[in-house]
Formats: sequence, C-alpha cells, structure tokens
Amino acid sequence: MGITDKLSHSQHDHDPPDVLGDLMRGTLDHCVKCTICETFCPVANVTPLFPGPKTVGPQAERFRVRGEESQDHSLDYCSGCGVCTQVCPQGVHIAEINTQARAKLKERDGFSLRDRIIARPPLLGRAGTPAAPLVNKTLASRPLRLLGEKLIGVHHAAAVPTFAGRKFQGWAKKHQSPPATRRVAYFHGCGANWYEPVVGEKTVGLLEAIGCQVDVPRGQSCCGLPLQSNGQFDAARRYVRTMAKRLAPAARAGVDILGTSTSCTLMLKREAREILDLMEDPDLKVVSEHMYDICEYLVMLHDRGELALELQPLPMTVTYHAPCQQQGHGIGKPALELMALIPELTVIENDAVCCGVAGTYGIKVEKYEIAANVGRGLFDQIEDARPDLAVCDSETCRWHIEGSTGVRTVHPLEIIHRAAGLSSDAELRAPA
Amino acid sequence: MTTISTEVLVIGGGATGAGVAWDAALRGFDVILVDRADLAEGTSGRFHGLLHSGGRYVVKDPVAADECVAENPILRRVIPDCIEDTGGLFVTTPEDDPAYGDQFLAGCQRAGLPTEEIGVDDALRMEPRLNPGIKRAFTVPDASIDAWKTVWSLARGAAQHGARVLTYHAVVALHKDGDAVTGARVRDELSGEELDIEAGFTLNASGAWAAQIVKLAGIEGIGVIPGKGIMIAMNHRLVNTVINRCTMPADGDILVPIRTVSVIGTTDMREADPDELPVTQAEVDQMLADGERLVPGLLQARALRVWAGVRPLWQDERSGEQATDTRDVSRTHAVVDHSARDGTRGLLTMSGGKLTTLRLMAQDLVDAMCKQQGEDRPCTTADVRPPGNEDGDLYTLGSRLRRREGTQQQEQLICECELIGRTKLEETMRRRGTQNLDDIRRSLRLGMGPCQGGFCIYRAAGILHGTGRLDGAQATASLTSFLSERWHGMWPILYGDQLRQARLDDWIFQGLLGVQHLPPANGDGRVEAPAQETVA
Amino acid sequence: MKPDVVVVGAGLAGLSAAVRLAEAGASVRVLAKGVGSTHLGAGTIDVLGYDADGGRVDRPLEALGGLPAEHPYGLVGRAGVSAAIEWFKGRMADGPRAPYAYVGDAEQNVLLPTAVGAVAPAGVVPETMVGGDLRGGGRVCVVGFRGLKDFFPALVADNLSRGPDGVTARGVELDLRPEGRADPNALAYARAFDDEGFRAEVVAQLVARVAPDELVAFPAVLGLVSPHEVWAEMEHRFGRAVFEIPTLPPSVPGIRVYTTLAQLLTRAGGRVVLNNVITGAERSGDRVRTLRVRVGLREVTYAPEWVVLATGGFSAGGLALDSSWVTHEVALGLPVAGAPAPGNERFGADYFGGQPMDRVGVRTDHEQRPVGEDGGRVVENVLVAGATLAGAAPWREKSGDGIALATGLRAAELITGDAAGHVGDVATAGA
Repeated sequence: MGITDKLSHSQHDHDPPDVLGDLMRGTLDHCVKCTICETFCPVANVTPLFPGPKTVGPQAERFRVRGEESQDHSLDYCSGCGVCTQVCPQGVHIAEINTQARAKLKERDGFSLRDRIIARPPLLGRAGTPAAPLVNKTLASRPLRLLGEKLIGVHHAAAVPTFAGRKFQGWAKKHQSPPATRRVAYFHGCGANWYEPVVGEKTVGLLEAIGCQVDVPRGQSCCGLPLQSNGQFDAARRYVRTMAKRLAPAARAGVDILGTSTSCTLMLKREAREILDLMEDPDLKVVSEHMYDICEYLVMLHDRGELALELQPLPMTVTYHAPCQQQGHGIGKPALELMALIPELTVIENDAVCCGVAGTYGIKVEKYEIAANVGRGLFDQIEDARPDLAVCDSETCRWHIEGSTGVRTVHPLEIIHRAAGLSSDAELRAPA
Repeated sequence: MTTISTEVLVIGGGATGAGVAWDAALRGFDVILVDRADLAEGTSGRFHGLLHSGGRYVVKDPVAADECVAENPILRRVIPDCIEDTGGLFVTTPEDDPAYGDQFLAGCQRAGLPTEEIGVDDALRMEPRLNPGIKRAFTVPDASIDAWKTVWSLARGAAQHGARVLTYHAVVALHKDGDAVTGARVRDELSGEELDIEAGFTLNASGAWAAQIVKLAGIEGIGVIPGKGIMIAMNHRLVNTVINRCTMPADGDILVPIRTVSVIGTTDMREADPDELPVTQAEVDQMLADGERLVPGLLQARALRVWAGVRPLWQDERSGEQATDTRDVSRTHAVVDHSARDGTRGLLTMSGGKLTTLRLMAQDLVDAMCKQQGEDRPCTTADVRPPGNEDGDLYTLGSRLRRREGTQQQEQLICECELIGRTKLEETMRRRGTQNLDDIRRSLRLGMGPCQGGFCIYRAAGILHGTGRLDGAQATASLTSFLSERWHGMWPILYGDQLRQARLDDWIFQGLLGVQHLPPANGDGRVEAPAQETVA
Repeated sequence: MKPDVVVVGAGLAGLSAAVRLAEAGASVRVLAKGVGSTHLGAGTIDVLGYDADGGRVDRPLEALGGLPAEHPYGLVGRAGVSAAIEWFKGRMADGPRAPYAYVGDAEQNVLLPTAVGAVAPAGVVPETMVGGDLRGGGRVCVVGFRGLKDFFPALVADNLSRGPDGVTARGVELDLRPEGRADPNALAYARAFDDEGFRAEVVAQLVARVAPDELVAFPAVLGLVSPHEVWAEMEHRFGRAVFEIPTLPPSVPGIRVYTTLAQLLTRAGGRVVLNNVITGAERSGDRVRTLRVRVGLREVTYAPEWVVLATGGFSAGGLALDSSWVTHEVALGLPVAGAPAPGNERFGADYFGGQPMDRVGVRTDHEQRPVGEDGGRVVENVLVAGATLAGAAPWREKSGDGIALATGLRAAELITGDAAGHVGDVATAGA
C-alpha cells in the first residue's frame, strides 16, 4: 500500500463498529482511568454528591446488566453538560453513556410530575402563552414561587423566562421572505417560539440582510433534548421524529438548516442520533447532515468570503460565555470570530466550563444550589467585567446568567444584528 | 521442629481441597488444610468461571453431564452468593453442524437437563452481539461462579468449625509409618521454617500436582499430564449469558460473563510441568479469532488479561488409561484408593473432576476416608451454607455498585475499576495478614479491572504499609512483584486499548513514581515473617 | 476560521508549538481529540533522567551524546533543548499565574523525591518543587492527608530514609478533608490550598510538629489558581523550604501548565478545539492539501499550509497497535518505524526490562518531516513532534517533557523560519 493511500483514509477505527451494537457503551473500552474527565466536570468539582463522570460512566457501566435494577442514583446528579466527552483524550463517549444510563435508572424509578412537565416545553408554552401577563406575574411573585417549589419542585429562585404572549411561529407564518439564490431554513426552537420571538425575528432579518431566502418550516415542535436529559427516551424519540419530519424536506432539497439555540441544534445534529439509537433514522440523518448553529454557519460563509455584511462600530464591552453545549459542537467559538469583525467592540471571553443550569437541571429544587455553585466563577467574571451586555448562545444559559448577575444577556446574533444596523441600541438592550 | 497434629490433613487449597476441608470439618473432623501458595492459585483460580449446566457433556460424556445436572442446583442452594444466574445458550455458529443440535437435545433429555430451543431472533434479542449468522440456539441453566469467593467461603467455613488453613505451606515430604501415611512435613514459604503435621489421614486434593504429592509417598506409576488451556478476559461483558458453541467440545467454544468481564476460553495443549504454562502468541491469536466467531467485533474490543489454566489429566499406568487429547477423557472424577492400588493406607487422592462438581468430589473423597476408617459420619454439605452466603440470594453484578452507592459519602474508593472501598480493603488486609498484594487481588479482585492496578496498586501499597505490618522495603517489594506478576498476563494480549493503558501505567509506575529506582530490600532479601495468618 | 497551521494534539508538544506559532503571528488552531498529557504528567520538564543502562543522569545536556542514534533529541541538538527550556521558563513567568515560575536548566538535574519515596532526577521544575532538591541529603517531614488516597507520607518517608542519598524522613498525616468530602482528589486539595483559611489550618496543625532542620514536603496540591502565593506563604509561615511532590493524576502542576499555555494561545489569537479527530488527509503532490477531521458525526476539512502532528504515543492514542499486531500512526497513517513485524516478539517477560516495542514511532528527517523506510521524506508540510516520534522510551529515561517541548518548539520554528542550525551538535545525530 503506497504512502498516498495511507494518507487518504483512516487506518484505525476510533470507535467500535456498529457490529458490537453498542456505539456509545462500547466506547467504555477506551477508558484508561486517566481522571481527565473528572478534572473538568463542573458538577463533581462543586459537590461530592456526584462522584464524577468516569465513575458513573465507563466505570459503573461495567457493573450494569440488562434486567437488573440500576443501583446508582448518584448518576442523576450528572447535568448532561457533555464536557467530559469533549475533554476525553481516548474517545470515550462519557456523557452519552451517562445519559443512557440515567434513562434506564428513570425507567425503574419512574418520572416525577415535575420532570414530565418541564421536559416538555411545548406543553408549558401552550399553557402559558394565552394568559402570558398573568403567568409572568405569577412567576415573578416570590410567595407563589415558594408555593410552586413545594408543590412542583422547581426552585423558587431559579431563573425562568417570561412568556412572550405570542408565538414566533405566528410571525413566521405571516412573514414573506424575499426570494434569493441562497436558501436556508430556520430551526427556531422552543426558546424563540414561546419566550424570545424577537430573537427569531432578528435571525430571519439578518439572514435576509446577507442575501438569504429564509424558510421557516411549519409545525416545528420540540427537539426532545429536555426529555432526553431527563431520561424519558420514548417520548424524546417521538419528539425527535416529529421534528425530523418537519425539517427533512428542506434538508433533502439541499437547504441548510440553521438554529439559534445551540443546544437544540446539537441535539438534532448529533445527540439524538447517538443517544436515542436513531443513527440511521432517514429523516433525522439528512436533517443532522444539514444542521448548523447560526454562528457556525455565518463563519463558514465568512471563511468562503461569502458573508455580505457591513458591520458598523459598536463601542461597548460585552462578555462572551460559550455554553457547554455549544462546545459540544466541536467548532471552536464562532461567535467570537464574528464579534471580532465588529469595530470598537470589546469582547471579554469568559473562562468557564458551564454556567450551571444545563437546561432543566439547575431549576430543580434539589439541583439548584449545585448549579449556582457551578456557575459562581462565571458570574463573578461577568460581574467583575461590568459589561454592557453578556453574550451567550443558549437561551436557558442566558436566563440563568441574567438571573444570577443581573446583566442583560443576549444571543451573539443580536450583537451582529445591531452592528449590521438592523436594530438600535435600545432594541439590543431591551429585555426579552 | 514444631509438630502439630490433626485428624485429617488436606493437601491442596483449590476448590477440591477447600471443599474437602469444609466437608470434613462439618462432619466433626479436625482438619488442617495446606497449600504451597495462596488458596485457589492453581487450577481453580484460573478457570473461566462456568458453572456447568451439563450441556457441554450431554453428548460425549453422559456421566459428567449427570453430575452437573445434579450438582448445579445444589451449589446454587448452598453458595448462592458465589454464583450469578446468567443462564446459558448453546448456539450453532455458521461453522457448526446444525444436526449436532438434535444430538444435544436428545442428550439433554436423557440427562434431565432443562433446555429449550429458541428462535434465532429471540437469541439475538437476548444477546444482541451474538453472531447474527447463528442457525440454532438452545437455552440451558448455565451460570457463572466466582472460584475465589467459593474457595474462600468454604475455607472460612471450615475454619469456623475448627479447621486450620495454612497457606504458603508447601509439602516437602510425606511421613510414613510402615505402610501408612501419617502426615507430612511442610515448609512455611514466607519464613522458611519447616514444621511437621501429624495426621490420622491424608487427603490429596492437589489436582495438577497430585502426582508430585503421591511420589512423596513412594507411590509409582501415576502421572498427571497438565492440559493447559488459555483464557482471555475481555474488558466488559460483551454478553450477559454464557455462550457455548453447540458442537463437540473444541477450542474457544465458551464465552462466560463473570463479574465485570467476559472470558473467552479455551485451548488445549499438553505441557510438561504444571508450573510452566507459557502462553503462546498462536494460542492468543486463535482464542481471539474464536471469540470473534461468537461475537463479531470482539477483535476490536479490549482484551484485559490472558492466563493459562491446567486440567489435571490423570494417567495411571496400572489401570491402562492412556490419555490422548485431554478432552477425550471423561471429565468425571475418581477417588484413587492407594490402599487398594499401592498397599498404602491413610492416603487417598482425588483425580480428575471439574469445579462444578467440587462438592460431590469432596463428598466422595471424605466418604471413602470414612469408609476406610469405619466412621459413620454422613455428608451434610448439600444443605449447609458456608459463610458469606447467609442471605441465600444469588450474586448480582450490580451488588458492588449498590454497596458503593451506600458508602460513597463516607469512604474512599481505592480500586475504582472494581469498586473496592478503603474499609473493605483494610479489613481484608488485616484478616489475611498478608504482605502480598496478589493475595489481596485474589480475595477482592483488586487491580483486576481495566487499569490492571495502574491507579489502585500504589494506593494499596500505601495502605498496606500503613497497617504497620510492612516496612517500606516490603511494601515496595509487594508493589514491584505485583507489577511483574501482572505483566505476565498482559503482554501477550497487549494491543489496542490495553496497550494504551499499559503505557499510561508505565508512565505512572516508572516515570512518575520511579518504582524501579527504589532501593532494594536490605539483608538477604527475605521478608519478615508476618504474624500468624488467620482465616476466619 | 481558516488557520495557516493546524496543530494536532493538545499535549505539551502541541501546545508549545501552537503558542510559539501564534505569538509569531501565525493563525493557529489546535485540534485535539481531548485534553493532552499535561494533566497526567508531573508538571516538570525532564530533559533526561536515566541513560540507556538505567543509570542516573546528573548532567543531561552532556548525557545527550550517549543516547541511541535515532533518539528525538538528535533532531534538536543541545542548543535546541536549552533554547526550549528558556522559552518555556519565559512563557510561564509571563503567564496568568505569574510570578509562579520554573527554575533550573538543562545543564544540571536536581534530585526530587517521588510519591513512593524514590529519589529521581528532574530537570526544570516549578519553584514549588525545587525546595525538594535532595542532592546532599537532608531531613524531610513528609506531610500527607488522610483524605488523599493518592499520596502516602509514611511510605514516602520510609523509602526515602532507606535510600542511599543521605535523606532522613518521617511522615505526618493530617486529617483535613476539604469541602466535607469523603474522597477528595488532588484537585480538591489544590482548591483548598488556594483558600487562606485552609492554609491557616494546615499551618496550625503542623508548625509545632516540624523539627528545626526539617524541610516540609506536601503532595503536589499547593494551589491551582495561585500556586506562587500558596507556596510563598507556606515557606514564610514555616520559615524554611516547603515543596510539593508530584503524585498520581490529576496532576495539579500539569493542569497549571495546560491552562497557562492554553491562555497564552488564546491571548495570541489561537484556540484549542476539542473533540476533533483527524481521520486522514488528501494529498497534492508531496503536500497535504486538506485535513479531514471528524467533528461529532460530521466530517469537516481544513486546508492549512502546515500541519504539526503532536498526537502523542501509544498512551495518548497517537500510535496504536491493532489485534493483528500491526502498528499505526493513527491520524495520518504515516509510516511507523521500529515496530517488530507481526509474528515477532513485541514485549519481553521482564516488566522492568527494555521491550522491543519501546521506541516505536514516526521517524523524521532533521526538519521533522516524516520519512519512510528508505529515509526519504514522505510529505513536505507535516512536521512531527513529541511522543509520536520514534527513538525514545520516555517513561524509562524521564525525557518525555523535554522531547515534547524541544521538538514542539523546533517544529514551530521550522515553520516560521526561525529555526537555527541546531542540528548536528549532538554526537549521535546521524547523517
């Protein structure tokens, strides 16, 4: 075999082949107990209640066998941030093993009412939207939140978003995207739909400004990530399949799908396929192959010299935190690359692994303190920087950061949108 | 020269010997059990862990099959904590003759062995990693059995009934008075001192070494051919059911899920010396290839350790048994009556057998002794549980995980791979009274997980040193000897993930700790005699 | 981003190369499967601790001449090693943990105790360790924590005392468990030491127990964020040399190195991107045109001018031996030298002895380009650094960090054009 051949294909399988039937679990064989994952685990570093990703993942998995009741409830303290998989030098899919193990644990233990509800954003969205002002008032009322904590188990101080009182989908239905040669599809996610439709509108606006025709596929629901993180795999699969069906036509037409919720895009890009055993689902596969985080996509265009964007100076100071799930994409920090194009903008890159909320984890009464401790370092950094705004790609992180620091926290897209002259300072800083 | 006396001297601390000691002690005999090394360091500690349903023997060796059918449920009843009810499957792989399955069924029927032919789809649902090309599948009540736990449980039980268990005591001579064997001289391998044991009766349960023992009594014409078989432990349970190839016994035809690993076994090569069991590359390659046939993709899974066990193949010139292939001989056992054969009283030897029938072997041997002595003491081992099995529950894989979950907030985890907490480790060190980390490994599986001691052996050496029983030189010697011992089982299967692990461990022990640069032990290299070992 | 240079591997070799390149103005991206070997190392830069016969080396630069011909140090020469050391010391002193600094040089080894009580040569070490230089013997009070299972002061002291180096030691165990943990690791203790309340408690429990002429040794947990402050305060409060001893991973001193280099890289405009796995490359003539990288379930490509391959050896997964006994360089499939053919002996029966597989790796020419069996350069724009290189057995020689640093830097300098003619001043450097 010549050198040419050797350089043109991989000689060595990094992961076990599918014949072992255990794409995630099988990677436990690569674990050499080096402790690197535990070094980075944001939860294990703040509480002994969680023994660490190596311990509950590849290590404990050797003691789990089908048919036997799962033994280790401490596994439930894993927040699902995924940092362990990212840092593992051996290629163990630790976070994925943990998530799958948690699902088995929950199968036995059962799901609490709370976990059923908070894992279904569309349910919450549909319930809260019609009477949004009243609901928002309730959620802002401390006595009612204390009551809620007792009844449901959501911590009274946990940051919860405000209902917008309208759906982004409603706006999208009425919006006509001007025809253009480059077509993209927008995967808005539950965050934009129920709580931050303005983010969705800005996204569409920005994409149109750079010459894209934006299609918002109808009937988008939930990507299933909260259900997956809470171990409700059957329900998660239903949600995923539905979402995939909605987005697949665009993907099959060769249209790239962009998302502004970095955790939701990761779910459809990778996690659902790996964790829910949906690797070969045809709709999901084609969607996953065309799925991009919005900043990832814009940087791609920029690298090709195709980002037609005039950016005005923006003399302000912002901090940027890359959520753990954004890092899970493995694409670096494209938001920083984009913001670096904006003159006079000072961006302070935060140095934190995770803000703590990890989706639904940090709002739970039994996990809230842990989440607060995980995020403490980040919050201190942000407060010390005294920025005009904090920037972060994931909506649950934004709400958590804003709730804990009091600093208005926005999606990087909103900064770009402002610098592109498509919105004003006031609009940028306005609460959601 | 110290002399101690007993009624029954049992030579050999494997499953047979421990079972004999237990049986005899229960019958009220005063017993001393000796082994030249740790318990279960011979054949018992080196087998694959299969508690036979008997399915393997139904066609070729009906007597052995019947024994397994009878003994399997008895062991589940008396030593449940040592046994995991994995169930078993016999599968016809693409290379096997499907017609054998009919012989198999007929044989099971005859032996009263509960079996059921299930659809291939059902088998694959049960065990998703099985070769999808299998043509037939049959369920059987196989199980996996932890030999060390079994042996130690029996030995502790014997000790509770007054027996003395002397590990690291090698028999150097058998005493005779006229035509009777009256005991033995043993050498304490740790201190070098010798002592005499006076025994009314001597039971030779030394398996592959049995011929060496009987020679000490001046008995000729008996040989034990060591039938070596290698086994490879794969890092995790590729299957959760014992998988057997549905064919005449062949190499590499069993895959046993035992504790956290799956063991693929075994080969058959006749060796000259039961203490010299080299593992050859060819055998390793063959074993992996055999495993691949049962579970495609095994070659990409991680192999943890390889070792060789030895079947004692009995050869008696006088009876005319000539062994050819070690598998062609019946796997059943026999009591060798030296009084009849050689005119030597006071000595009986157990020949052949397998771990599944350990209780029956012990019963037969002690019964034969009683008969010769005119003692009427019935065997009760079928109904009494030795220590550690009190709750009557079969072992479950998750039990260590459950235990750790309960102690997580209170104590340190020392061996992370095998979930051994500090309390358990220190308690075992105290109880064993040993200086040897390999003894602890055998008792607890310390260092037997994926990292093969990479992290825990340093900790264990430190803890052992901290018990005050050893000084730095001894702790160091124990650490380095553990590493050398572990290397034997590693280097023949060192590829892929395990090589990665080994190199990390090399960095830790040699690069970071510099164990090879520690000053050697002072004096003549002998270690100080520990306080008297207790087995209770 | 379209980097000019892609560095593969986030260990010491990769990070050093990346920082050097980024600070010289190159656009650099480090792609790595995961975090590298820094977290597992001692945090020291060992140039050469033992020669080919296992004898202790006192003066490493001098001893380089006695190394086998194919040794990676032959690629950089003595000047290259010295320059790399000086560079590293400079960058650490300039880093976010300043004034935490490294001391020493490649001329003279120090002798430091290990976590099992051996005494081993070490090269350039953090200031927090150099107080443990036991050349000339001494008396040491080795302090451990009952909660830290990765360090046993009594064992360390016992073995130190019976060694031939004139050291007398005793062990003291404190029962302090940070954060209320039953099973804290070195990182938990390091966080605790960063807290002055914990430090005060440690001093309070110890200061009266330490004899006048005893040095004080701790496991390597003297602070993660502010090691200089922690160590300086300890020395001040005890009024004598205080030092830390590296122990089992997680390596706190190693983590300090990693975070320093990663931050220096970010400051200089570079970035480490994890969970990126090189699956191969497309060639154009004698150059790699595109690198194929698996990110999650997707394959992306980079088209850098240069690639620095610093993926480590077998323990890091840069090299692999498969079950048919064939050795691979994993990322790019480069030719591997020194591996016994399948069927030949790979390992010997003596664990502590040399093994045929010891020095396997990718062989390069003097410009760190990989070469084939005939010695001819295989590709123009890929440079190899660190443990992927053939010719060393770093865990035996205690040379891994020195090799990683020196070859990583030289790779960077070969790319920037700053590489001086270091080669040839090591006697064993072949033609």
